[in-house]
Amino acid sequence: MLDASDGYVTEDGRKIGGVVMEMRNITLRFGGVVAIKDISFDIREGEIRAIIGPNGAGKSSMLNVISGFYVPQEGEVWFRGAKRPPMRPYEVARQGIARTFQNIALFEGMSVLDNVMTGRLNFMKTNIFQQALWKGRAEKEETLNRAAVERIIDFLEIQHIRKTPVARLPYGLKKRVELARALAAEPKLLLLDEPMAGMNVEEKEDMSRFILDVNDEFGTTIALIEHDMGVVMDLSDRVVVMDYGKKIGDGTPDEVRGNQEVIDAYLGVSHD
Amino acid sequence: MDNTQSAAGGLHSLPALLHRNAQAFASAPAYREKEFGIWQCWSWSETAQEIEALALGLLNLGVREGDFIAIIGRNRPYLYWSMVAAQSVGAVPVPLYQDAVAEEMVYVLSHCGARFVIVSDQEQADKVIEVQDQLHQFEHLIYLDPRGMRKYDHHQLHQFSHVQDQGRAARDEWITDLHTRRDKLNYDSTCVMLYTSGTTGKPKGVVLSNRNVIESAKNASDFDGLTSSEDILSYLPMAWVGDFIFSIGQAYWCGFCVNCPESADTMITDLREIGPTYFFAPPRVFETQLTSVMIRMEDASKLKKRMFHHFMAHAKKVGGLILDGKPVALMDRLKYAIGNALVYGPLKDTLGLGRVRVGYTAGEAIGPEIFEFYRSLGINLKQLYGQTEATVFITVQPDGEVRPDTVGVPAPDVEIRIDDSGEIFYRSPGVFVEYYNNPDSTASTKDAEGWVATGDAGFIEEGSGHLRIIDRAKDVGKMADGAMFAPKYVENKLKFYPDILEAVLFGNGRDRCVAFINIDLTAVGNWAERNNIAYASYQELAGHSRVLETIQEHVETVNRSVAEDPMLSGCQVHRFVVLHKELDADDGEMTRTRKVRRRIVEEKFADIIAALYDGSDSVSTVTEVTYEDGRKGSISATLNIRDAAVMPIAQKMAAE
Amino acid sequence: MPEQLVFAMEVILNGLMAGVLYALVALGFVLIFKASGIFNYAQGVMALFAAMTLVGIMNGQVPFSHLINAIFGAHITHFGWQVPAAIAILLTMAVMVLLAWCVQQFVMRHLVNQEPIILFMATIGLAYFLEGVADLMWGSEIKSLDVGLPQGINLWIDETTFNIFGYGFFIDNLDIVATVVAALLVIALVAFSQYTKQGRAMRAVADDHQAALSVGISLNFIWVMVWSVAGFVALVAGIMWGTKSGVQFSLSLIALKALPVLMLGGFTSIPGAIVGGLIIGVGEKLFEFAIGPLVGGATENWFAYVLALVFLVFRPQGLFGEKIIERV
Repeated sequence: MLDASDGYVTEDGRKIGGVVMEMRNITLRFGGVVAIKDISFDIREGEIRAIIGPNGAGKSSMLNVISGFYVPQEGEVWFRGAKRPPMRPYEVARQGIARTFQNIALFEGMSVLDNVMTGRLNFMKTNIFQQALWKGRAEKEETLNRAAVERIIDFLEIQHIRKTPVARLPYGLKKRVELARALAAEPKLLLLDEPMAGMNVEEKEDMSRFILDVNDEFGTTIALIEHDMGVVMDLSDRVVVMDYGKKIGDGTPDEVRGNQEVIDAYLGVSHD
Repeated sequence: MDNTQSAAGGLHSLPALLHRNAQAFASAPAYREKEFGIWQCWSWSETAQEIEALALGLLNLGVREGDFIAIIGRNRPYLYWSMVAAQSVGAVPVPLYQDAVAEEMVYVLSHCGARFVIVSDQEQADKVIEVQDQLHQFEHLIYLDPRGMRKYDHHQLHQFSHVQDQGRAARDEWITDLHTRRDKLNYDSTCVMLYTSGTTGKPKGVVLSNRNVIESAKNASDFDGLTSSEDILSYLPMAWVGDFIFSIGQAYWCGFCVNCPESADTMITDLREIGPTYFFAPPRVFETQLTSVMIRMEDASKLKKRMFHHFMAHAKKVGGLILDGKPVALMDRLKYAIGNALVYGPLKDTLGLGRVRVGYTAGEAIGPEIFEFYRSLGINLKQLYGQTEATVFITVQPDGEVRPDTVGVPAPDVEIRIDDSGEIFYRSPGVFVEYYNNPDSTASTKDAEGWVATGDAGFIEEGSGHLRIIDRAKDVGKMADGAMFAPKYVENKLKFYPDILEAVLFGNGRDRCVAFINIDLTAVGNWAERNNIAYASYQELAGHSRVLETIQEHVETVNRSVAEDPMLSGCQVHRFVVLHKELDADDGEMTRTRKVRRRIVEEKFADIIAALYDGSDSVSTVTEVTYEDGRKGSISATLNIRDAAVMPIAQKMAAE
Repeated sequence: MPEQLVFAMEVILNGLMAGVLYALVALGFVLIFKASGIFNYAQGVMALFAAMTLVGIMNGQVPFSHLINAIFGAHITHFGWQVPAAIAILLTMAVMVLLAWCVQQFVMRHLVNQEPIILFMATIGLAYFLEGVADLMWGSEIKSLDVGLPQGINLWIDETTFNIFGYGFFIDNLDIVATVVAALLVIALVAFSQYTKQGRAMRAVADDHQAALSVGISLNFIWVMVWSVAGFVALVAGIMWGTKSGVQFSLSLIALKALPVLMLGGFTSIPGAIVGGLIIGVGEKLFEFAIGPLVGGATENWFAYVLALVFLVFRPQGLFGEKIIERV
């Protein structure tokens, strides 16, 4: 297993730092149903961390716990060295945790540019009266935010749809716009909920490339959920495997691949 | 040739022209590129500095005189600078098609033995790195966009901006060397080497001298009165001779501004923002734009639709005449002016063609309706006929003599000759030096007196002196009964329907003609949507019975029009099939410039052709396809074969 | 120019002015509907409440005086001071913001993710509750409101038209002010929603709650803000109507007049609310002028509803509304 304190160096030579987020003995119940059972794991600075498992394993619930959409009954969430009190999702977002959704949650009525700009809302500090006058600080702020957004638009190659209403975009592009919006927030931790769901091979390859590039270019720490094993193994540095709400494996893709329990969960007793 | 030499005023190379522009137009814009949502701009003097820095950097990396420097990527100022910088250090720039797959690049890169390759980004770099073991002379790769390149082994890799920085830092060391090399360039030095895609066989490296490029650019600019205040949008492949002449030759000769789009997908938006004054596009671009206008009009309100059709009908009547400066009644002029305010003007602005003074189309025949549509709006769209070997210009249409069915009169300083078989020959200062390392091909194309065979058949029209092209000389064949077989002629008529993207006619040596048809997914897909026809794939749509009916109507209309010409009436389509896949350059069925490779198509789909001739109703076939990432797969389909009504060949019967 | 035509012109002008006031109320509806998907039946009562509060504060009236007097046997009704209009308006706005917070905190917050019809019912309840509170706070007698807006015939228009047509038009100054105020209000609202951080957040919330949360927008805050803005619009409408026809409980009925306006203009369109208001205003005045005498008058009471009904049949999404497409 890995050294718990100082981080490590990946196969391709990237330096992974200390722990950014730590889940300690998380248990989440819906009524009588236990979605997550006493799970602990950490996410380190600069790494791509995957949470995998068959359908219904509790992956999405775990992501929702991290992003504050669910509050666990037991356990502690530690973020950047401090224990996090129960928070609402928007407070979590303001702490620097951005996310995407499995079923895409975009502002359908707005243009791509406006959507990505909403990712910058927390960077807009001028108050309503300064904005009303639209002078000085407010204008400068708008320009800076726009420039930051343009970099992301360029990075994700969505210049051609900048002014297009999101509702008119095909599925694959919507996924990319959602990623752009999350990136615009300059997150300390980026959560991706099944970023490749519903995509064809080519779109999956594109998305994988973008995820790797984001991590490489901005050094963004990424935690993602995916049930396509192949994609995950190529992409991530470390993998948590869940099954029936329990953690059954944690380690590098190779370690996880050799884990008998994981093999059973995926091949033996599938509950898809 | 001495007089032409002096006509260029001692400006015998691109670096010399750059030097003049940096002084004459110092602060005027030379390049613009949209990046991060903003148009970035470089003046001529800034351009000169950037190019000098790059040239010094190349010297610093060890570029030798006579080296070939391959350049691969989409149209970006940096890559245009690379071409001029390459020439400045005595090397030869070789732009490559960026959508070529790695195997295709191997041939060109090893044929010219490029020691240096300049690429736009990781995608292109990967292709070169993938095949570098097969390239014995390859030494250094320079990339523009550093994204994703950090983890690569940088022994042979250099970031473009770093090369420039090193050049600036080592200026003192290399500047004398640079001047010496630059001063050595003369009118006969090689300016650029361009690989022709070639409809058959391996690509050939066409060597063009400074004389070829500068004389052609100068003549064409004079012909259309181009000035330093033009704006052009450079979006066509940099490896194509047209782009080299427009975006470098003419831009440097006139000193006008080259604008580069933000990305390939934003071309239409960028076009609208720039509003070029001089514009070139293959017919395909005009067709696509027209189709999108028509689709949008379908969705417009009734009032708008009626206004549009009303004024377009008027424009069709008088627009072309007004543009040609022909007499038009005052009332019609007035109505045209109203139409211009209400319809034509806004439409032209939407298309991004509101400022166009001179527009050209070439490469393929353009549909007369499409051509007339743009001209009737008041856009001075003209046709030209050219080749890489001629440094583009062979014939051009002068203002006021523009017609859809001719390609114009010989360009300035160009002589034209038609031989007995109907093949067109030309001689001009633009005639290429040679095919690189291929004296046989050079000799068979260019004779001792400098006449070049075009490979096209055509004739010069009595009276007007305009050239008319019939077809590729080798494609004009004879049918079994000795009648003329001119496939392009019929194919173009078919392709003028927005529903039909591509058509291939067969019939050489046969008793009757049959055809392959590719539907246009945009146009037919839109039609299907409006008619509530569900389809899951191209293949399914192409096989839909109502689509087949529509195509059949088109084929039969074309047959009627073909039958009107007694010489060609044998070329009517008796039977046809709508193909289950789009003909694709990745599968070798077309060239990168999207010309059909007839022989390959004929071989690949031999089973379908056989079925077309043996009278069967349908044919089952399996076709190999190549995906964008280079993987191969196959699709199988059962295709319906349709009979089309043909007109009796009345006149011919009577004549016999 | 024939006399009838000149009269008709005057009628149209007056109709336009009345239409502006309809549009003002409709605007409040559209705003809340767009941002939260709630059809706020209480918008009219909010205008009434705002107007009453404004009058009460200006007159130095003691709120809940009946209640207090009844419990403590006292006889206080007034503090004995008069508050200047400007300050009173600011104070009223503060009350409206407080109201917005209460509505969100005690009602809407508990109804997140409920069916629209439940939310609609909640606003009906809110309307009656608010009407009761208004009664309890400020009493039920008709009061006049004067915040210093110009009123009465505009002499300049009267003279000018007299010189041209030989007949002076009667246009109320208050109507002109209302038109100007409405125009400013619309510009301010559009600028707010398009160009400010809060406006952007508001549009985001209206579009997708989950997504809004994920970019760090507090839904509670936005909804309080939306209700406050609606309260502000209600205050403006209340001032205009109150000045025109006195502050009385029938004021809440103008909310019902806003309904046909919305059916005409579409529930989601700000320009729709304005154009709808103008059409209804002009339509009913013109109808009364032309047809009224034939059917015994008082057509103004029902014309708007009939017009709206006709619209519902032919263009259910309204003039500017988004097409209603039910996905199956």
